[in-house]
Amino acid sequence: MTVMIRRLADGLAVLGGVILLVIVAVTTTNTSAFILDRIAGLFGTNVAGLPGYEDFVQLAISGVALMFFPYCQAQRGHVAVELFMDRLPHVLQRAFDRLWLACTAAVALFLAYWMVFGLLEARSDGVVTSVLGWAVWPFYLPGLVSMILWALVAATQIAGGTPDA
Amino acid sequence: MLDPIVIGIIGLVVLFGLLILRMPVGIAMITVGIGGTWVLSETVSYIRFVPYLKQYKSLLWENVANYDLSVVPLFVLMGYIAAEARLSSDLFKGLEALMSRLRGGVAMAAVAACGGFGAVCGSSLATAATMGKVALPELRALGYSPRLASGALAAGGTLGILIPPSVALVIYAIIVEGSILQMFQAAILPGLLAVAGFIAVIAIQVRLNPSLAPEPKEMEPAERRRAIRRLLPVIVIFGAIILGLGFGLFTPTPAASIGVFAVGAYGFALRALTGEGLNLPGLMRAIRATAVTSGMIYLILFGAEVLKGFFTRTNLPQALSDWATTSGMDPMLILVIMLVVFVILGCFMESLAMILVVVPFFWPALIALNGGEYATADTSAFGLDTDSLKIWFGILALIVVELGLITPPVGLNVFIISSLAKDTPMSTVFRGVLPFLGAEFIRVALILMLPALTLIVPRLIGG
Repeated sequence: MTVMIRRLADGLAVLGGVILLVIVAVTTTNTSAFILDRIAGLFGTNVAGLPGYEDFVQLAISGVALMFFPYCQAQRGHVAVELFMDRLPHVLQRAFDRLWLACTAAVALFLAYWMVFGLLEARSDGVVTSVLGWAVWPFYLPGLVSMILWALVAATQIAGGTPDA
Repeated sequence: MLDPIVIGIIGLVVLFGLLILRMPVGIAMITVGIGGTWVLSETVSYIRFVPYLKQYKSLLWENVANYDLSVVPLFVLMGYIAAEARLSSDLFKGLEALMSRLRGGVAMAAVAACGGFGAVCGSSLATAATMGKVALPELRALGYSPRLASGALAAGGTLGILIPPSVALVIYAIIVEGSILQMFQAAILPGLLAVAGFIAVIAIQVRLNPSLAPEPKEMEPAERRRAIRRLLPVIVIFGAIILGLGFGLFTPTPAASIGVFAVGAYGFALRALTGEGLNLPGLMRAIRATAVTSGMIYLILFGAEVLKGFFTRTNLPQALSDWATTSGMDPMLILVIMLVVFVILGCFMESLAMILVVVPFFWPALIALNGGEYATADTSAFGLDTDSLKIWFGILALIVVELGLITPPVGLNVFIISSLAKDTPMSTVFRGVLPFLGAEFIRVALILMLPALTLIVPRLIGG
């Protein structure tokens, strides 16, 4: 179970990375078109950019950002302050660690719970992006899945699962 | 019945308590933000908890679905791809080829490479770790004193926060609703000043105590040519991104995307031509590392949003602002106190989290001290309008935030370098860092006295 959850977190992060590369490709294409348009303007022609490119980046990045959370948790990447805790007895350190992991899982589930209502509301209100006109609600789904997976990763760490090395 | 301001102060104390107990920063911010608002709703009649909770239907999604913030994972990815493609090593070797004729030249090259790589990487800790791995073994093998070698690299790691593109600058600009481009432009001169200052520190040290560095030894001509040949593409790519951003030729997201594309394409081309550079496993490692760093940053950003909601409801930032204007203290003294608070907190707190927690408190107080949102340069306390104050304070704040990374007793960069230099005690690294710390304090004093150092480039470019 723990291994499967870790693999899912890893897969989601890699998928997020691939979407990030798509953003790179789209943005680079749009910027190149912008530069070409400037040059083409000298010759009385024009090169069109990608309409709604900012809409796309905005929607895609929402998924990417949240898809990174479970893997970040699996790697214990959410930064904490290291001041004196490492001098406390190991048992106490582990107890605090479990407490914070439980808080993390609770926060993730809290956010997932409310995101369900956000998704339903965006769907019923028919919220769409301004230029592309794409429906926003499907873009809540990667975030929702990520929050649940984030909670599961934290839960497995409470149960003693070690982070990926 | 507790006063909301008292609840705000208690919230702040609880937040620092949780941080000291090693609760993840983002989770601590969210916990205090939501918990504190619940306590407020039990105490203050006009704050209702259930309607407050309903904002979480869309708050997280709207927080991350932000075009401006898309630069964060893109710049982070660019930095990791650059590291995987060994551009950090090429940068160091190339600069070494140019500077190795000088006594202390290799240490100077290491500092300059820290500035270049740190700018692209955007993280002080990652810069110290990467450049430490690349340059420390060579500095030691050449006979540099452990004190100078480790001190230069620990201090050099802090250079990246200012030289554009910097994630911290983006975050600061978003908090104070300023222009990201203007912040990038403003950071160029102070960033270069820091590199020049650190190089001067090395030059002065080896002049006063020649035993700190070996006799200068030139590279073999063939090795030198190869190093310079490998440096040129790195300078072209990094330079195009840094200058393109600084001079407003690109906006941040296109610049970051083109940066990822250029660094990745160069890395793959290098692999195809020489067998070194970027390959697919390297790209996957860069993506995974980006997931960890970006996930951490996005959680802290969301935590800061939640915390801001709580503190705004307590009126604590407003109270601090009122106190600052009625205290009768000199505005410059209050600004210096704020900077000292940054240095102290920076000793144990992550820079980004500190900017996000502290700036929303200090910024309204500074505006009030300066004479209000619409103050003009002639009528304001600092002699600057609000937009200029944003830039000046932001640069000062980011410099002092990073000082914490090399300030005893904690100094995270010092820890990193000390862990890489196994035979160098931490006390030696701290001693090595002290002269650089001195240069930094001089830089801060210069910028405090001469705000023009931060304002001249945006004014020249912006007109």
